[in-house]
Amino acid sequence: MALLVGTRKGAFVFTSSRDRKAWKVSGPHLKGNEIYHMAYDGRSGAILASIVSGHWGPTVARSEDMGDTWKESSTPPKFPKGSGLSVARLWQIKPGAENEPGVVYVGVEPACLFRSEDGGKSWRVNEALLNHKTRKKWQPGGGGLCLHTILVNGKRPGRIHIGISAVGTLRTDDGGDTWRFQNKNVLVGYQPEKYPEYGQCVHKLAINPATPDVIYHQNHFGVYRSDDAGENWIDIRNNLPSRFGFPMAADANDPKRAYVAPLEGDFSRIPSDGHFAVWGTDNRGKEWFKLDGGLPAKSYYTVLRDGMVADAEDPCGLYFGTTTGQLFASRDQGTHWERITDSLPPILSVSVSAT
Amino acid sequence: MIRVRLTAQLKDLAKGAREVELDSAVDLGTMVQKLDRSFPGLGGRIVDDQGRLREHVNVFVNSENSRELGREKTKLRDGDVVHILPAVSGG
Repeated sequence: MALLVGTRKGAFVFTSSRDRKAWKVSGPHLKGNEIYHMAYDGRSGAILASIVSGHWGPTVARSEDMGDTWKESSTPPKFPKGSGLSVARLWQIKPGAENEPGVVYVGVEPACLFRSEDGGKSWRVNEALLNHKTRKKWQPGGGGLCLHTILVNGKRPGRIHIGISAVGTLRTDDGGDTWRFQNKNVLVGYQPEKYPEYGQCVHKLAINPATPDVIYHQNHFGVYRSDDAGENWIDIRNNLPSRFGFPMAADANDPKRAYVAPLEGDFSRIPSDGHFAVWGTDNRGKEWFKLDGGLPAKSYYTVLRDGMVADAEDPCGLYFGTTTGQLFASRDQGTHWERITDSLPPILSVSVSAT
Repeated sequence: MIRVRLTAQLKDLAKGAREVELDSAVDLGTMVQKLDRSFPGLGGRIVDDQGRLREHVNVFVNSENSRELGREKTKLRDGDVVHILPAVSGG
Protein backbone atom coordinates (compact mmCIF):
# COMPACT_ATOMS: atom_id res chain seq x y z
CA MET A 1 0.00 0.00 0.00
CA ALA A 2 1.36 3.41 -0.90
CA LEU A 3 0.19 6.91 -0.09
CA LEU A 4 1.38 9.45 -2.62
CA VAL A 5 1.46 12.90 -1.07
CA GLY A 6 1.98 15.97 -3.22
CA THR A 7 3.11 19.11 -1.44
CA ARG A 8 4.18 22.62 -2.30
CA LYS A 9 7.80 21.55 -1.89
CA GLY A 10 7.95 18.09 -3.40
CA ALA A 11 6.52 14.59 -3.30
CA PHE A 12 6.47 12.14 -0.42
CA VAL A 13 5.75 8.41 -0.67
CA PHE A 14 4.43 6.61 2.40
CA THR A 15 4.38 2.83 2.26
CA SER A 16 2.77 0.29 4.54
CA SER A 17 1.81 -3.33 4.60
CA ARG A 18 -1.86 -3.97 3.93
CA ASP A 19 -2.72 -3.70 7.62
CA ARG A 20 -1.97 0.06 7.25
CA LYS A 21 -0.70 0.31 10.81
CA ALA A 22 2.83 1.62 10.27
CA TRP A 23 4.08 3.88 7.51
CA LYS A 24 7.58 4.41 6.15
CA VAL A 25 8.25 7.65 4.31
CA SER A 26 10.58 8.59 1.49
CA GLY A 27 11.05 12.07 0.09
CA PRO A 28 10.94 14.83 -0.67
CA HIS A 29 11.21 13.70 -4.27
CA LEU A 30 11.16 16.28 -7.06
CA LYS A 31 12.29 18.65 -4.34
CA GLY A 32 11.09 22.23 -4.54
CA ASN A 33 8.37 21.55 -7.10
CA GLU A 34 4.67 21.93 -6.43
CA ILE A 35 3.10 18.50 -6.84
CA TYR A 36 -0.52 19.09 -7.66
CA HIS A 37 -1.35 15.41 -8.03
CA MET A 38 0.18 11.96 -8.29
CA ALA A 39 -1.25 8.68 -9.51
CA TYR A 40 -0.14 5.10 -9.23
CA ASP A 41 -0.58 3.33 -12.54
CA GLY A 42 -1.47 -0.23 -11.61
CA ARG A 43 -0.99 -1.37 -15.22
CA SER A 44 2.71 -0.54 -15.23
CA GLY A 45 3.64 -0.05 -11.57
CA ALA A 46 4.77 3.51 -12.28
CA ILE A 47 4.00 6.68 -10.33
CA LEU A 48 3.00 9.70 -12.38
CA ALA A 49 3.27 13.22 -11.00
CA SER A 50 1.90 16.58 -12.12
CA ILE A 51 4.66 18.99 -11.24
CA VAL A 52 4.93 22.76 -11.40
CA SER A 53 8.16 24.63 -10.94
CA GLY A 54 7.97 28.31 -10.14
CA HIS A 55 10.89 28.88 -12.46
CA TRP A 56 10.76 26.18 -15.08
CA GLY A 57 7.02 25.73 -15.61
CA PRO A 58 4.90 22.59 -15.53
CA THR A 59 5.64 19.08 -16.69
CA VAL A 60 4.84 15.45 -15.93
CA ALA A 61 7.35 13.19 -14.21
CA ARG A 62 7.30 9.41 -14.07
CA SER A 63 8.97 7.07 -11.61
CA GLU A 64 9.29 3.33 -12.10
CA ASP A 65 10.90 2.67 -8.71
CA MET A 66 8.34 4.13 -6.31
CA GLY A 67 9.89 7.58 -6.30
CA ASP A 68 13.61 6.94 -6.07
CA THR A 69 14.27 8.21 -9.60
CA TRP A 70 12.14 10.28 -11.95
CA LYS A 71 12.06 11.06 -15.62
CA GLU A 72 10.33 14.13 -17.04
CA SER A 73 8.16 14.00 -20.15
CA SER A 74 10.05 14.44 -23.38
CA THR A 75 7.05 16.23 -24.88
CA PRO A 76 5.17 17.77 -21.93
CA PRO A 77 1.59 19.00 -22.21
CA LYS A 78 1.72 22.08 -24.42
CA PHE A 79 -0.91 24.09 -26.22
CA PRO A 80 -0.38 24.41 -29.96
CA LYS A 81 1.44 27.41 -31.36
CA GLY A 82 -1.04 30.05 -32.39
CA SER A 83 -3.59 29.13 -29.73
CA GLY A 84 -2.25 31.93 -27.55
CA LEU A 85 -2.47 29.59 -24.57
CA SER A 86 0.27 28.29 -22.36
CA VAL A 87 -0.05 25.61 -19.70
CA ALA A 88 0.30 27.28 -16.30
CA ARG A 89 -0.38 24.31 -14.02
CA LEU A 90 -1.04 20.61 -14.23
CA TRP A 91 -3.81 19.28 -12.00
CA GLN A 92 -5.17 15.78 -11.74
CA ILE A 93 -3.35 13.00 -13.57
CA LYS A 94 -5.21 9.74 -14.23
CA PRO A 95 -4.32 6.45 -15.91
CA GLY A 96 -6.73 5.36 -18.64
CA ALA A 97 -8.82 2.22 -18.54
CA GLU A 98 -7.33 -1.22 -17.89
CA ASN A 99 -7.60 -2.15 -21.56
CA GLU A 100 -5.74 1.01 -22.68
CA PRO A 101 -2.17 0.33 -21.59
CA GLY A 102 -0.06 3.46 -21.80
CA VAL A 103 -3.00 5.85 -21.90
CA VAL A 104 -2.85 8.60 -19.29
CA TYR A 105 -4.84 11.82 -18.95
CA VAL A 106 -3.90 15.07 -17.27
CA GLY A 107 -6.00 18.17 -16.66
CA VAL A 108 -4.40 21.57 -16.96
CA GLU A 109 -4.88 25.28 -16.35
CA PRO A 110 -6.11 27.03 -18.45
CA ALA A 111 -8.71 24.32 -18.60
CA CYS A 112 -8.06 21.56 -21.06
CA LEU A 113 -7.35 17.84 -21.17
CA PHE A 114 -4.20 16.20 -22.49
CA ARG A 115 -3.75 12.53 -23.40
CA SER A 116 -0.64 10.44 -23.49
CA GLU A 117 -0.44 7.06 -25.18
CA ASP A 118 3.05 6.20 -24.00
CA GLY A 119 2.67 6.25 -20.24
CA GLY A 120 3.20 10.00 -19.86
CA LYS A 121 6.29 10.55 -21.98
CA SER A 122 4.54 12.61 -24.63
CA TRP A 123 1.21 14.42 -24.64
CA ARG A 124 -1.41 15.66 -27.08
CA VAL A 125 -4.08 18.26 -26.44
CA ASN A 126 -7.77 17.37 -26.66
CA GLU A 127 -8.82 19.46 -29.64
CA ALA A 128 -12.53 19.25 -28.91
CA LEU A 129 -12.11 20.95 -25.55
CA LEU A 130 -9.51 23.37 -26.81
CA ASN A 131 -11.91 24.51 -29.54
CA HIS A 132 -15.13 24.15 -27.56
CA LYS A 133 -17.68 26.67 -28.82
CA THR A 134 -18.32 28.05 -25.34
CA ARG A 135 -14.67 28.32 -24.31
CA LYS A 136 -14.47 32.10 -24.60
CA LYS A 137 -17.18 32.42 -21.97
CA TRP A 138 -15.52 30.16 -19.42
CA GLN A 139 -14.64 31.91 -16.18
CA PRO A 140 -12.10 30.81 -13.59
CA GLY A 141 -12.84 29.75 -10.04
CA GLY A 142 -10.72 30.88 -7.11
CA GLY A 143 -8.08 28.30 -8.00
CA GLY A 144 -7.91 29.41 -11.61
CA LEU A 145 -9.58 28.09 -14.76
CA CYS A 146 -8.50 24.55 -14.07
CA LEU A 147 -9.54 21.11 -15.23
CA HIS A 148 -9.06 19.43 -11.89
CA THR A 149 -11.00 16.18 -12.02
CA ILE A 150 -10.92 13.27 -14.46
CA LEU A 151 -13.08 10.19 -14.00
CA VAL A 152 -12.45 7.36 -16.44
CA ASN A 153 -15.40 5.01 -16.66
CA GLY A 154 -13.67 1.66 -16.77
CA LYS A 155 -16.79 -0.20 -17.84
CA ARG A 156 -17.85 1.85 -20.84
CA PRO A 157 -15.07 2.45 -23.37
CA GLY A 158 -14.70 6.09 -24.33
CA ARG A 159 -16.66 7.55 -21.42
CA ILE A 160 -14.84 10.15 -19.34
CA HIS A 161 -16.20 12.77 -16.96
CA ILE A 162 -14.26 15.94 -16.24
CA GLY A 163 -14.71 18.79 -13.78
CA ILE A 164 -13.66 22.35 -14.58
CA SER A 165 -13.85 25.33 -12.22
CA ALA A 166 -15.97 27.33 -12.78
CA VAL A 167 -17.39 25.76 -15.89
CA GLY A 168 -18.94 22.58 -14.55
CA THR A 169 -19.04 18.94 -15.42
CA LEU A 170 -18.67 17.59 -18.93
CA ARG A 171 -18.83 14.07 -20.34
CA THR A 172 -17.54 12.40 -23.45
CA ASP A 173 -18.73 9.03 -24.71
CA ASP A 174 -16.38 8.86 -27.66
CA GLY A 175 -12.98 9.11 -26.06
CA GLY A 176 -12.87 12.90 -26.19
CA ASP A 177 -14.00 13.64 -29.76
CA THR A 178 -17.08 15.43 -28.40
CA TRP A 179 -18.07 16.77 -24.99
CA ARG A 180 -21.36 17.86 -23.54
CA PHE A 181 -22.21 19.68 -20.34
CA GLN A 182 -23.86 17.80 -17.51
CA ASN A 183 -24.96 20.34 -14.95
CA LYS A 184 -28.69 19.77 -14.70
CA ASN A 185 -30.09 20.85 -11.30
CA VAL A 186 -26.68 22.16 -10.13
CA LEU A 187 -26.97 25.61 -8.59
CA VAL A 188 -24.90 28.64 -9.52
CA GLY A 189 -25.46 31.01 -6.63
CA TYR A 190 -23.77 34.11 -7.99
CA GLN A 191 -25.61 34.90 -11.17
CA PRO A 192 -29.16 35.77 -12.10
CA GLU A 193 -29.74 32.48 -13.93
CA LYS A 194 -29.40 29.91 -11.17
CA TYR A 195 -29.38 26.73 -13.25
CA PRO A 196 -27.52 27.50 -16.48
CA GLU A 197 -26.18 24.95 -18.94
CA TYR A 198 -22.64 25.67 -17.71
CA GLY A 199 -20.79 27.96 -15.33
CA GLN A 200 -21.07 25.67 -12.31
CA CYS A 201 -18.25 25.69 -9.80
CA VAL A 202 -17.58 21.99 -9.40
CA HIS A 203 -14.97 21.39 -6.71
CA LYS A 204 -14.56 17.60 -6.90
CA LEU A 205 -16.21 14.50 -8.37
CA ALA A 206 -15.77 10.94 -7.11
CA ILE A 207 -16.95 7.49 -8.17
CA ASN A 208 -16.76 3.94 -6.97
CA PRO A 209 -15.12 2.08 -9.91
CA ALA A 210 -17.61 -0.79 -9.53
CA THR A 211 -20.58 1.55 -10.02
CA PRO A 212 -19.20 4.31 -12.25
CA ASP A 213 -22.59 5.69 -13.20
CA VAL A 214 -23.05 6.86 -9.59
CA ILE A 215 -21.11 10.10 -9.15
CA TYR A 216 -20.70 12.12 -5.99
CA HIS A 217 -20.11 15.84 -6.45
CA GLN A 218 -18.87 18.52 -4.06
CA ASN A 219 -19.74 21.88 -5.53
CA HIS A 220 -19.25 25.46 -4.40
CA PHE A 221 -22.99 25.70 -3.83
CA GLY A 222 -23.95 22.22 -2.78
CA VAL A 223 -23.34 18.51 -2.52
CA TYR A 224 -24.87 16.33 -5.22
CA ARG A 225 -25.20 12.79 -6.48
CA SER A 226 -25.99 11.52 -9.92
CA ASP A 227 -27.34 8.01 -10.45
CA ASP A 228 -27.30 8.22 -14.23
CA ALA A 229 -23.72 9.07 -15.19
CA GLY A 230 -24.16 12.79 -14.74
CA GLU A 231 -27.41 13.31 -16.66
CA ASN A 232 -29.23 14.55 -13.54
CA TRP A 233 -27.98 15.72 -10.18
CA ILE A 234 -29.78 15.32 -6.86
CA ASP A 235 -29.10 17.69 -3.96
CA ILE A 236 -27.80 15.55 -1.07
CA ARG A 237 -26.63 18.22 1.34
CA ASN A 238 -29.37 17.27 3.83
CA ASN A 239 -27.94 17.48 7.38
CA LEU A 240 -24.37 18.47 6.46
CA PRO A 241 -23.18 21.50 8.45
CA SER A 242 -22.32 23.34 5.24
CA ARG A 243 -22.88 22.91 1.56
CA PHE A 244 -19.36 24.21 0.93
CA GLY A 245 -16.15 22.18 0.81
CA PHE A 246 -13.57 20.90 -1.59
CA PRO A 247 -12.72 17.18 -1.43
CA MET A 248 -15.09 14.32 -2.12
CA ALA A 249 -14.19 10.64 -1.75
CA ALA A 250 -16.16 7.53 -2.66
CA ASP A 251 -15.83 4.28 -0.75
CA ALA A 252 -14.46 1.67 -3.13
CA ASN A 253 -16.22 -1.18 -1.34
CA ASP A 254 -19.62 0.26 -0.68
CA PRO A 255 -21.20 2.47 -3.35
CA LYS A 256 -23.62 3.87 -0.77
CA ARG A 257 -20.74 5.45 1.17
CA ALA A 258 -19.10 8.78 0.40
CA TYR A 259 -17.10 11.35 2.35
CA VAL A 260 -16.76 15.14 2.38
CA ALA A 261 -14.91 17.73 4.46
CA PRO A 262 -17.26 20.69 4.94
CA LEU A 263 -16.01 24.22 5.46
CA GLU A 264 -17.92 27.33 6.37
CA GLY A 265 -18.76 28.81 3.03
CA ASP A 266 -17.69 30.61 1.34
CA PHE A 267 -15.83 33.75 2.33
CA SER A 268 -14.20 32.33 5.46
CA ARG A 269 -13.47 28.79 4.25
CA ILE A 270 -12.62 27.44 7.69
CA PRO A 271 -14.12 24.48 9.58
CA SER A 272 -17.35 25.22 11.42
CA ASP A 273 -16.85 26.06 15.11
CA GLY A 274 -13.09 25.67 14.74
CA HIS A 275 -13.38 21.91 14.50
CA PHE A 276 -12.33 20.09 11.37
CA ALA A 277 -14.24 16.87 10.73
CA VAL A 278 -14.85 14.52 7.85
CA TRP A 279 -18.49 13.70 7.28
CA GLY A 280 -19.70 10.44 5.79
CA THR A 281 -22.86 8.88 4.49
CA ASP A 282 -23.80 5.22 4.21
CA ASN A 283 -27.04 5.75 2.33
CA ARG A 284 -25.96 7.77 -0.72
CA GLY A 285 -26.31 11.11 1.00
CA LYS A 286 -29.75 10.86 2.60
CA GLU A 287 -28.06 11.37 5.96
CA TRP A 288 -24.57 12.36 6.99
CA PHE A 289 -22.63 11.67 10.18
CA LYS A 290 -19.53 13.25 11.64
CA LEU A 291 -16.32 11.24 11.50
CA ASP A 292 -13.92 12.91 13.89
CA GLY A 293 -12.66 10.23 16.29
CA GLY A 294 -9.07 11.06 17.07
CA LEU A 295 -9.11 14.45 15.36
CA PRO A 296 -8.22 17.54 17.43
CA ALA A 297 -11.09 19.17 19.29
CA LYS A 298 -9.93 22.52 17.91
CA SER A 299 -8.39 22.77 14.49
CA TYR A 300 -8.60 25.08 11.54
CA TYR A 301 -7.35 22.51 9.03
CA THR A 302 -7.97 23.11 5.38
CA VAL A 303 -8.03 20.17 2.98
CA LEU A 304 -7.75 21.04 -0.70
CA ARG A 305 -9.80 19.41 -3.45
CA ASP A 306 -7.32 16.57 -4.05
CA GLY A 307 -6.34 16.32 -0.41
CA MET A 308 -8.62 13.45 0.62
CA VAL A 309 -8.88 9.95 -0.80
CA ALA A 310 -10.32 6.53 0.01
CA ASP A 311 -8.48 3.26 -0.56
CA ALA A 312 -9.84 -0.02 -1.92
CA GLU A 313 -9.33 -2.13 1.20
CA ASP A 314 -12.13 -3.65 3.26
CA PRO A 315 -12.98 -1.84 5.45
CA CYS A 316 -12.15 1.21 3.43
CA GLY A 317 -9.27 3.39 4.59
CA LEU A 318 -9.51 7.16 4.35
CA TYR A 319 -6.67 9.66 4.20
CA PHE A 320 -6.44 13.42 4.21
CA GLY A 321 -3.64 15.95 4.12
CA THR A 322 -3.89 19.57 5.23
CA THR A 323 -2.47 22.82 4.00
CA THR A 324 -0.55 22.98 7.27
CA GLY A 325 1.24 19.68 6.67
CA GLN A 326 -0.71 17.15 8.75
CA LEU A 327 -1.43 13.74 7.22
CA PHE A 328 -4.19 11.66 8.82
CA ALA A 329 -5.31 8.10 8.15
CA SER A 330 -8.28 5.98 9.15
CA ARG A 331 -8.48 2.21 8.73
CA ASP A 332 -12.18 2.00 9.53
CA GLN A 333 -14.09 4.21 7.12
CA GLY A 334 -13.26 7.38 9.00
CA THR A 335 -14.48 6.34 12.43
CA HIS A 336 -11.05 6.62 14.04
CA TRP A 337 -8.19 8.76 12.79
CA GLU A 338 -4.47 8.60 13.43
CA ARG A 339 -1.96 11.26 12.52
CA ILE A 340 0.78 9.81 10.33
CA THR A 341 2.79 13.05 10.45
CA ASP A 342 2.26 16.72 11.14
CA SER A 343 5.44 18.05 9.64
CA LEU A 344 5.06 18.07 5.88
CA PRO A 345 5.00 21.16 3.67
CA PRO A 346 1.51 22.33 2.68
CA ILE A 347 -0.26 19.31 1.19
CA LEU A 348 -1.85 19.71 -2.22
CA SER A 349 -2.88 16.15 -2.93
CA VAL A 350 -3.13 12.66 -1.48
CA SER A 351 -3.46 9.56 -3.66
CA VAL A 352 -3.44 5.94 -2.68
CA SER A 353 -2.77 2.62 -4.21
CA ALA A 354 -1.92 -0.94 -3.45
CA THR A 355 1.55 -1.92 -4.64
CA MET B 1 29.87 27.83 -32.49
CA ILE B 2 27.54 28.89 -29.68
CA ARG B 3 28.09 27.61 -26.18
CA VAL B 4 25.05 27.23 -23.92
CA ARG B 5 25.66 27.00 -20.19
CA LEU B 6 22.89 25.39 -18.19
CA THR B 7 22.05 25.87 -14.55
CA ALA B 8 22.32 22.78 -12.37
CA GLN B 9 18.54 22.29 -12.23
CA LEU B 10 18.43 21.70 -15.99
CA LYS B 11 21.38 19.40 -16.42
CA ASP B 12 19.38 16.21 -15.91
CA LEU B 13 17.38 17.08 -18.99
CA ALA B 14 20.65 17.49 -20.93
CA LYS B 15 21.97 14.06 -19.94
CA GLY B 16 24.08 15.60 -17.19
CA ALA B 17 25.79 18.25 -19.33
CA ARG B 18 26.31 21.73 -17.88
CA GLU B 19 27.45 23.08 -21.22
CA VAL B 20 26.12 22.32 -24.69
CA GLU B 21 27.65 23.42 -27.99
CA LEU B 22 25.56 24.30 -31.01
CA ASP B 23 26.96 24.86 -34.48
CA SER B 24 24.78 27.90 -34.97
CA ALA B 25 21.44 29.53 -34.15
CA VAL B 26 19.97 32.67 -35.64
CA ASP B 27 18.41 33.80 -32.40
CA LEU B 28 17.51 32.60 -28.91
CA GLY B 29 14.18 31.16 -30.02
CA THR B 30 15.93 29.02 -32.61
CA MET B 31 18.55 28.05 -30.06
CA VAL B 32 15.85 26.78 -27.68
CA GLN B 33 14.25 24.76 -30.47
CA LYS B 34 17.60 23.16 -31.26
CA LEU B 35 18.20 22.38 -27.61
CA ASP B 36 14.80 20.73 -27.39
CA ARG B 37 15.50 18.59 -30.43
CA SER B 38 18.71 17.36 -28.86
CA PHE B 39 17.28 17.05 -25.36
CA PRO B 40 13.49 16.57 -25.50
CA GLY B 41 11.70 18.45 -22.74
CA LEU B 42 14.47 20.99 -22.14
CA GLY B 43 13.00 23.70 -24.36
CA GLY B 44 9.72 23.78 -22.46
CA ARG B 45 11.56 24.58 -19.26
CA ILE B 46 12.99 27.76 -20.82
CA VAL B 47 10.08 29.03 -22.91
CA ASP B 48 6.32 28.61 -22.61
CA ASP B 49 3.99 26.92 -25.09
CA GLN B 50 4.05 29.94 -27.39
CA GLY B 51 7.83 30.20 -27.35
CA ARG B 52 7.96 33.12 -24.93
CA LEU B 53 10.73 33.25 -22.37
CA ARG B 54 9.39 32.05 -19.02
CA GLU B 55 8.80 34.83 -16.51
CA HIS B 56 11.25 33.53 -13.93
CA VAL B 57 14.01 32.41 -16.27
CA ASN B 58 16.84 34.69 -17.35
CA VAL B 59 18.87 34.08 -20.47
CA PHE B 60 22.07 36.05 -20.75
CA VAL B 61 23.95 36.41 -24.03
CA ASN B 62 27.51 36.87 -22.90
CA SER B 63 26.86 39.30 -20.03
CA GLU B 64 23.70 40.94 -21.36
CA ASN B 65 20.25 39.95 -20.14
CA SER B 66 18.19 39.03 -23.19
CA ARG B 67 15.19 40.83 -21.68
CA GLU B 68 17.02 44.05 -22.46
CA LEU B 69 17.94 42.85 -25.94
CA GLY B 70 15.26 41.15 -27.97
CA ARG B 71 14.10 38.38 -25.63
CA GLU B 72 13.51 35.28 -27.77
CA LYS B 73 14.41 37.24 -30.88
CA THR B 74 17.81 38.23 -29.58
CA LYS B 75 20.30 37.59 -32.40
CA LEU B 76 23.19 35.23 -31.79
CA ARG B 77 26.62 35.27 -33.34
CA ASP B 78 29.43 32.80 -33.63
CA GLY B 79 31.36 32.69 -30.37
CA ASP B 80 28.47 33.83 -28.15
CA VAL B 81 28.12 32.23 -24.72
CA VAL B 82 24.53 31.87 -23.56
CA HIS B 83 23.76 31.41 -19.87
CA ILE B 84 20.37 29.98 -18.84
CA LEU B 85 19.67 30.81 -15.21
CA PRO B 86 16.74 31.04 -12.83
CA ALA B 87 15.67 34.59 -12.06
CA VAL B 88 16.26 35.57 -8.43
CA SER B 89 12.49 35.80 -7.87
CA GLY B 90 13.06 36.00 -4.16
CA GLY B 91 11.03 37.55 -1.42
